[in-house]
Amino acid sequence: MLGLLRKIRRTGRVAEPAPPSPVVDRSAVAAELGGSVQIRHVDAGSCNGCEVEIGSAFGPVYDAERYGARLVASPRHADALVVTGPVTRNMAEPLRRTYEAVPGPKLVVAVGDCARNCGVFAGAYGVAGAVRDVVPVDVEIAGCPPRPEAIVEGLRKLTGR
Amino acid sequence: MSLVAVGLGGALAAGVLTALAAVVVPRRVRSAVAGTGTVVTGGAGVMAGVGAMTGSSLSVALPGLLPLSGVSLTLDALGGLFVAVTGGVAVAAGVYGISYTRSHGLDARGVQVVFPLFVVAMLLVPAAASVGTFLVCWELMALFSLLLVVAEHRHRPEVAQAGRWYAVMTHLGFVAVLIGLLVFVAHAADDSFPALREAGRHLSPGAAGLVFVVTLAGFASKAGILPLHAWLPRAHPEAPSHVSALMSAAMVNPGVYGLVRVGFDLLGGGTLWWWLLVLALGAVSAVYGILQAAMSTDLKRLLGQSTTENMGLVLVGVGAAGVFATSGNRVLAGVALAAALLHVINHAAFKTLLFLAAGSVLHGTGARDLDALGGLRAGMPQTTAAFGLGALAASALPPGTAFVSEWLLLQALIHGLPAPGATGGTAAAIAMPLAVAAVALTAGLAVATFVKAFGVGFLAKPRSAAAGNAHESPPAMLVGMGLAGVACVVLALLPTLVLPAVGTVSGVALGVGDPAVSGAVTVRLAGVAGALSPLMLTLALLAAVVLVVGAVRVVAARRARRAARLWDCGGGPMSARMEYTATSFAEPLQRVFDDVVRPEQDVDVTHHEESRYLVQAVEYRRKVPDRVERRLYEPVLAAVAAWGRAGRRLATGSVHRYLGYGFYTLCAVLILVAVTR
Ligand code: SF4
Repeated sequence: MLGLLRKIRRTGRVAEPAPPSPVVDRSAVAAELGGSVQIRHVDAGSCNGCEVEIGSAFGPVYDAERYGARLVASPRHADALVVTGPVTRNMAEPLRRTYEAVPGPKLVVAVGDCARNCGVFAGAYGVAGAVRDVVPVDVEIAGCPPRPEAIVEGLRKLTGR
Repeated sequence: MSLVAVGLGGALAAGVLTALAAVVVPRRVRSAVAGTGTVVTGGAGVMAGVGAMTGSSLSVALPGLLPLSGVSLTLDALGGLFVAVTGGVAVAAGVYGISYTRSHGLDARGVQVVFPLFVVAMLLVPAAASVGTFLVCWELMALFSLLLVVAEHRHRPEVAQAGRWYAVMTHLGFVAVLIGLLVFVAHAADDSFPALREAGRHLSPGAAGLVFVVTLAGFASKAGILPLHAWLPRAHPEAPSHVSALMSAAMVNPGVYGLVRVGFDLLGGGTLWWWLLVLALGAVSAVYGILQAAMSTDLKRLLGQSTTENMGLVLVGVGAAGVFATSGNRVLAGVALAAALLHVINHAAFKTLLFLAAGSVLHGTGARDLDALGGLRAGMPQTTAAFGLGALAASALPPGTAFVSEWLLLQALIHGLPAPGATGGTAAAIAMPLAVAAVALTAGLAVATFVKAFGVGFLAKPRSAAAGNAHESPPAMLVGMGLAGVACVVLALLPTLVLPAVGTVSGVALGVGDPAVSGAVTVRLAGVAGALSPLMLTLALLAAVVLVVGAVRVVAARRARRAARLWDCGGGPMSARMEYTATSFAEPLQRVFDDVVRPEQDVDVTHHEESRYLVQAVEYRRKVPDRVERRLYEPVLAAVAAWGRAGRRLATGSVHRYLGYGFYTLCAVLILVAVTR
């Protein structure tokens, strides 16, 4: 316990300085959330590259939580879905159900090129389509995989902070 | 003629006539005749018991009936209580048995003849007034129950094994009672209880202690007390369900009766260490029994293990009463004994209900394994309600039945801290808080156990085809459960109907004048500033529930609502295999009590033949063995088997050798006689 406290003291703060807030008009729905967005992540068929980057976006260095975004464990607790990967046939229905399970007002963020337009998997036999073909998408974050800065920036467009 | 005489005579006559009738009537009506006859027998028993508890008593001596000792019966208040309990259980089990035996192929003569006789034998044990009569009735009770336990031995091999365990253990217990009482009789004028009572006053402490400990072993084995409990979770579940109910609710009680009769009445109270021993045995049995039940996945076995728990609680009460009585606090002793006796009654009521409901489940699904049940609410609504009521009654929460008696017990234990300087003060001061802790732990585990039994067994989705096709039981079985259910509700809400009588019985048994418990709606205790009104408590609880539900409704009505699909991770629909099972429900508890229950588990992983990285099959086995059995019984059994093997060398099959043995033994005896004379 003491060792842990000592480590915390010695390491100090590793988070990068906050870049300036992206100035955008938030959608009406995002504005209604008042700067605090609870996020449920759905892997609709990704190669897990995007997951690694999301993980680091919420890690100590990029620390997305300081802008009001937070990952939660159930769509019932969420305001927004973060969807990665092309939507595979097996995940199309669960994704739709997850979207229905989120209480309104709700938002969907498509993370990665696969989520936006099926990326390298476009036309594969198991792919049902991009995320927007299955559920309505509000924000898209490009990149294969997108850098954590890009993910944080995308989320800040929702929280407005 | 008094109520007692009519009742006891009627019970005897009805039981024997029913047995005779069951021999002659055709198979078609045999179940109905035997069941009705048993109900009459039980009803007469209740009448006799209630009569005896309310003051009248009966003494009959029939010297010619049995050679050497004759038969003498006396029914006093203490015996009356046990007779009434047995009678009540027999009424419910009798009605239930009418349909149960017919649909389970148990309407052959054997079971139907023995069943009423078993009830009669149980009714006579507490009425016996001499050692001879007592032992004969005790043995008859054991034999008849043994015949009933093995009734289904042709269908299931486990039954025969359970029967063997039961036969051996019950007879070892009988031998212990026999030896203890014979040692006692050797100091008395004859074998009647009044003579023993007289002799008990002048017995040396050593002899009295010996009598007490040896009979305690016998009585404890009948009540399923550790470490002599091993037969109980085997024999009770394997018997036909209505017999299980009679055994678990009624046949364990003579153990308690014998303990109270010999310890308090005949030996006159004894010394402190006797009762500390009883208290310790009771506390250990209660905790261990309920722990085993919490791990169990077999519905009827779970109920059997819970019997060990409840008898443990009763023994805690009896032991505490003894401790208080020997250290001079007779009023509190009365409260403790009243708590124990009330728990006997309560346990009989809810265990009858639970075993009958378990039998109904067995009837409707053919399964007793909780992991194969579930979803019975749809197919068997009445049985589900009955088991739910029983589960509530068995877990010591208001407004449950067991709550009242456990509350009384806790009151007695908490107020039992001896005054400084009292005799045996230190031992009692250590024992009482430990006993409180044991009772509290037991109560908590009992709640977990019965939540598991009810939640996993009856709610959620069916886990097997058999559970999915469950069908409700015929009316006679429902009536049997209903009777037991009514008894549970009455005992839970209006314990004051029986408590004054129980208080009087305990006062009489301890030789205190005034009853320990009184009150019409509110239970008041003598010498303790404690009062409880179960009826008011229940009403308050109901009112609170109604208020909360109403408030939630009112608040919710103002808000917008949305009907959504149950969240099942999007993959749905959920299958029954995703449900909690009895095993997984008990897993956290098993982890906490790892050092006590020592579960055995092993995992076998079979790899693919081409690569160690590919797994072909994983096999997981888990078993929660009875540790006492492992440590105590297995070495003894192994030693006996070794002796047996060694003895085989003596018997080679040669007739000359055997004749030689006879000759040499005779010579040895003659020499011995010649030398010792
Ligand atoms: S966008 Fe790139 S990193 Fe993300 S899931 Fe698709 S292929 Fe993988």
